[in-house]
Amino acid sequence: MPLLSVFNDLLFGLGVALTPFNMTVAVVGLILGTAIGVLPGLGGTNGVALLLPLTFTLQPTSAIILLASVYWGAIFGGAITSILFNIPGEPWSVATTFDGHPLAKQGKPGIALTAAFTSSFIGALVSIILFTFFAPPLAELALRFGPPENFAVLLLAFATFTGLGGGNPVKTVLMTLLGLLLSTVGFDIVTGQPRMNFGLISLQSGVNFVVIAIGLFGLGEIFLTVEEGLRLEGIRARLSFRDLVETWRQFPRYAATIVRSTILGFWIGVLPGTGATPASFMSYGLARQFSPHPERFGKGEVEGVVAPETAAHSAGIGALLPMVTLGIPGSPTAAVMLAGFFIWGLNPGPLLFQTQREFVWGLIGSMYIANVIGVLIVLTLVPAFAAINRIPFGILAPLIVIMSSIGAYAANNQILDLWIMLGSGVAGYLFKKLGYPLAPLVVALVLGDMTEQALRQTLIMGRGSPAIFLGRPIALGFFLAAALLFALPALRPLWRRARPPAEAKEAMEAGSLR
Amino acid sequence: MRRAEILMALALSLGAGALLRQALRLPIGWTAVGPGAGFFPFWLAVGVAVCAVILLGQGLRAPLTEEGGAPFIPSGAWKPLLAVFLPMAAVVALVDYLGIYLGGALYLAGYTWLVGRHRWHTILPVSVLVPLVLFLIFEKWFLLPLPKGVVLEYFLYGR
Repeated sequence: MPLLSVFNDLLFGLGVALTPFNMTVAVVGLILGTAIGVLPGLGGTNGVALLLPLTFTLQPTSAIILLASVYWGAIFGGAITSILFNIPGEPWSVATTFDGHPLAKQGKPGIALTAAFTSSFIGALVSIILFTFFAPPLAELALRFGPPENFAVLLLAFATFTGLGGGNPVKTVLMTLLGLLLSTVGFDIVTGQPRMNFGLISLQSGVNFVVIAIGLFGLGEIFLTVEEGLRLEGIRARLSFRDLVETWRQFPRYAATIVRSTILGFWIGVLPGTGATPASFMSYGLARQFSPHPERFGKGEVEGVVAPETAAHSAGIGALLPMVTLGIPGSPTAAVMLAGFFIWGLNPGPLLFQTQREFVWGLIGSMYIANVIGVLIVLTLVPAFAAINRIPFGILAPLIVIMSSIGAYAANNQILDLWIMLGSGVAGYLFKKLGYPLAPLVVALVLGDMTEQALRQTLIMGRGSPAIFLGRPIALGFFLAAALLFALPALRPLWRRARPPAEAKEAMEAGSLR
Repeated sequence: MRRAEILMALALSLGAGALLRQALRLPIGWTAVGPGAGFFPFWLAVGVAVCAVILLGQGLRAPLTEEGGAPFIPSGAWKPLLAVFLPMAAVVALVDYLGIYLGGALYLAGYTWLVGRHRWHTILPVSVLVPLVLFLIFEKWFLLPLPKGVVLEYFLYGR
């Protein structure tokens, strides 16, 4: 891949993103996304899902810029609630609460917020550069993929949840299988037979993952909030110029952490099916492990904010890479965006770079622009966004319910989906309390059709024998990697016995919170 | 907590059984077009069943610690949980007749009054303005029709 052509493409992309209309779209998306990220119970996945139907009137390039900007905004916004209210508005900002909230309580909310936004920005920017240069070669590699390779990659995605997610691996596998099963509801793609619908006609169109995601994440979160009796009482946030300068002067000290978190975040983001949440946890755990003062973590260590925020934003970018190049979403939010691709009439995958140059490079260009605008917006609007959380919960909760209902209904235009959403909400609450991870279910539901098709085609190619995988080195490599990840929870105790530092164990456990 | 783990594993086993039955109504073996329509769901349901049984075993074998014996839902949490859930279910049940806008307005008013314990000068603007703004956004700007229910349909279009 000649470097010059990448620069040419990038300049072209920046040109697309810098048109007045697309700039406006990006700013609107960023503000909406930040607001969504600040609201507990309304995550980036919900935000993107809610806005998806509204993008049908836009050009695909503007539509993806809008959704991507909402996504960046939500990652920024998640940090605000975590730090000021100790309420992670997003699953990936849970790790930010560990040190961010103590800092805020010590009267340094400005320092915590500046550290969070600045490290998000750096993580994102470096990842975008990685994205720019790695996306085309990865896309070219992907062109050589057949059904066996696709199936092996998908298996690897599911294996990452089990191997790197922490928690009870049996529960993770069960949730993945359940998600795949939900995807089989409706019609069989090959034979056209109606199946798994329990005789209900309304289920023949299948189970929409938007409905499930809103229920599981959005409503489930409300139930948890209510149960814990949380009152949304925040700390007044004022961002002074002195806080900015003081925090930035400290930043060179965290260079190693930032570099490590960025690379880790990008890599975990690129791995299909993982996303920002495990990245932020792992990065926090590693930062503590490498720190000369691990005992300061959890009590208001700035580095404890820098590490997860850098990784989360970096993973957010990385997650878009397999989506654009392979058609495999790296996170639930990317999965929702992927659904958008199909609706806009685009086929995600390696050919996208050739057939939809404006779309792909417009998206990449907009990532540079949106992150620069984003960090400026959040740094100036911190007090305003914090005010959202002063809306009493008695008003906020029904507002979230109504927004969720609209999102769920708009997905398919049927009332049954509202009941499915409600049921998923209760299920999400129970699952979360019992430590069943939700993300694998949603990702599996999205990837289900693709997985089944790849598996069936592979079996047809091999005339019913799975031995076909042995003759295909790329597929076999992915397979072995997947097997290793599936085995990791069983291997980890052995490794830990050989080398038992307390921090490693705690980091592992922190990683299981997801 | 331990009891909840066991109950959840039992429920998931039963669910897997029902899904297995659904899958078995279709061909699960090799057909003229390769693996049959039931092939994929069948093996997935088998996997869910196996996982659920393992989890059931784990739940039963777990020692009864103090934490494990604690109630799954704290006794004080039932009231707020139901106060959130029941109105939510009621509004979903009513959306067919009242639509999202009227149903939403009623829900907002009822919730902020009964649960949020706000005064009318908060309730009124919230429950009137929010549905109105949503109506403008979805119906007018984005031309996305949401269920309006018989009452609003009558006032808007006279049918």
